[in-house]
Amino acid sequence: MTIHAHLDTFHGLPVRWVGLDPATSSAAPDTVAWRVQAADYDEEEPTLQQNFEELLDRVDPTRIRAIVIGWWGPGWEGKRGDIPVGMLAGAADRLPALEAIFLGDILAEESEISWIEQDDITPLLDTYPRLRRLEVRGGTGLRLGPVTHSALEVLRFETGGLPASVVRAVGESSFPALRHLELWLGSENYSGDSRPTDWTGILDGSGLPALRHLGLQDSEIQDEVCAAVAAAPVVARLESLDLSMGVLTDTGAEALLSGQPLTHLTSLDLSHNYLSEPMAERLRAALPGVELDLSDRQRARGNDWRYVAVSE
Amino acid sequence: MTPVPVGPPVAVVGTPGDRRVTLFAAALRRHGLPEPHVVAWRDVLAWSEALAGREVLGGHEAVAGRDVLARSDAPDGWDVPPAPRFPEGAIVRVESPGEDAAADALLRGPGDPSRVGGGATWHARFVRALESVRDAVARTPGARLAGDVGEIAVMFDKRLCHARLAAAGVPVPPALPGPVRGYTALRAAMREAGWARVFVKPAHGSSASGVVALQAHGPRIKATTSVELESAGRLHNSLRVRSYEHETDVAAIVDALAPDGLHVERWFPKASVGGRVFDLRVVVTGGRPTHAVVRTSHAPMTNLHLGGRRGDLAMVRATLGESGWARAMDVCAAAAACFPRSPAVGVDLMLEAGRWDPAVAEVNAFGDLLPGLTGLPGGGAEGLDTYEAQVELLLGSARTAGRR
Repeated sequence: MTIHAHLDTFHGLPVRWVGLDPATSSAAPDTVAWRVQAADYDEEEPTLQQNFEELLDRVDPTRIRAIVIGWWGPGWEGKRGDIPVGMLAGAADRLPALEAIFLGDILAEESEISWIEQDDITPLLDTYPRLRRLEVRGGTGLRLGPVTHSALEVLRFETGGLPASVVRAVGESSFPALRHLELWLGSENYSGDSRPTDWTGILDGSGLPALRHLGLQDSEIQDEVCAAVAAAPVVARLESLDLSMGVLTDTGAEALLSGQPLTHLTSLDLSHNYLSEPMAERLRAALPGVELDLSDRQRARGNDWRYVAVSE
Repeated sequence: MTPVPVGPPVAVVGTPGDRRVTLFAAALRRHGLPEPHVVAWRDVLAWSEALAGREVLGGHEAVAGRDVLARSDAPDGWDVPPAPRFPEGAIVRVESPGEDAAADALLRGPGDPSRVGGGATWHARFVRALESVRDAVARTPGARLAGDVGEIAVMFDKRLCHARLAAAGVPVPPALPGPVRGYTALRAAMREAGWARVFVKPAHGSSASGVVALQAHGPRIKATTSVELESAGRLHNSLRVRSYEHETDVAAIVDALAPDGLHVERWFPKASVGGRVFDLRVVVTGGRPTHAVVRTSHAPMTNLHLGGRRGDLAMVRATLGESGWARAMDVCAAAAACFPRSPAVGVDLMLEAGRWDPAVAEVNAFGDLLPGLTGLPGGGAEGLDTYEAQVELLLGSARTAGRR
């Protein structure tokens, strides 16, 4: 799987590109998600910061609800995620209504996911205490410190490799309002180095009392994820569970079947898997009332290689 | 009563039985015209290479001998194949020499047709053969070429083609000044230009043969290509796009490609439709963009034989809007105008991710093989395929010539 399309909608709002479509300036600031980015290609085009200042000048910033950050420049030229994070954190007092941030709406044609250079995103949560949604693409260089944030409802990390330190920080944080947590754990080759002990905080669920959806996906050790989830206290409070995109084999599915009951779930996503048909049948039989996604069955390639859906 | 169009005899230099030839013949038939006279590339090549061999062996005298040969085919003791002959008064269409292993062997030398490399030899021999076609046509009373062999030669050199487009103000991705003589030089030139992502294209390749989409920064590297690197270091074209992440592999590939000439462009981030990146192949016939297809892919190359698929042109047009589409077609027409004596060219047009600004990736001399595709509304070739549109153009110009 490769991400080839920029976001059309975000936070339930249509995405509008600042500086591209002249008609967008007439949109009410709170009815669209505003997208700012640096010129990817033409060096004469404005920088991310110039684009952002244009947004704040053109519309009433106190009504902006959602911002999508696109390309901020090449990591190989030292343009890292501290640029957009610092920019947004520095403007927090001008954006009192901001409730949703997407950090890194960047396509493979611009920079492959593991080549996106992120940085410490903790300042976003510190400076926007009313933020309800934070989505981040790219795990390289990503950092997060444990936080307490009482408004955040959705937290997503799309990565080809999510650093263990970030996984641990999420588990050590307190997110009393968080409903949806999604982590693409990724490949060890691309800094996705978390192991079962790193997942404990999340699976214990003590900082996530409101959690209804958990995604622990895209892991090279998806079977171990399943084994850990099978005994995790947090699962009882979930409505939907997503263990898709990883290297899931019959071993992982067996762990799910022999663990705690999952019949309370509305949906269980196991798509992109390496399951056998008999195991798929057993899953269907064991979870009759659950919307079970077993699609996108993979086959091991030469030399028994198995791949996650998103890595490099 | 509509007069039945009676045209001059038509000849094609091509690969007999190949779709390009049969589809063009079908288009002639639909206009009530007789079958074209087909001259096989392999025969032209055998002739032009034999001549070249004589010239090398015989020095200056052989240059004079060229005319002798042309008049009398093979003099005693000269084992030379017959010269290409065309009907008097013929309009001569030059087609691709592809799809014929014998022609490929004459162009690149004997070997596995799927191997990568030999592009410089291929191009030199192809140009020589084009010139011998031009000369043979010139010797034939009343005959003329439908196109221009010089323009074809430029289109088969991506460096020259890019320079010509850039000079004419056609938007193209910037290119390294070149020549790029190998992997080390490539990385140095990339650092100099500040580019971490480039497309490395063999100067004389076609159909994405040997193209490498390369991203490299410091120790990190990734090359995406259909080239298969064998353990012995030989390169083959494959039908699967693959990635190389070890510098030694990437260096081996680039170093193997470099002696035949490289054209290196900055990676232009392509827009997507339906979750797949795309570009447009636009056929410009007689100066007008007449046919267009969207080619989509999960990989940086969109060629159909590499798993690319046709995409939704209506969706692309809708996203571009009226003025965006008009601008895109203007860019294609401007690219084609760099080759004014070519009746039809295939322009590969990219649109930038997000902004949908156009840029030309390539202009193809033989970019019209789009069977069954009819013309764009308002493009002047509605209801006609690319070959029928060119037959119309040919007849139009023949009639104009006849009135003069």
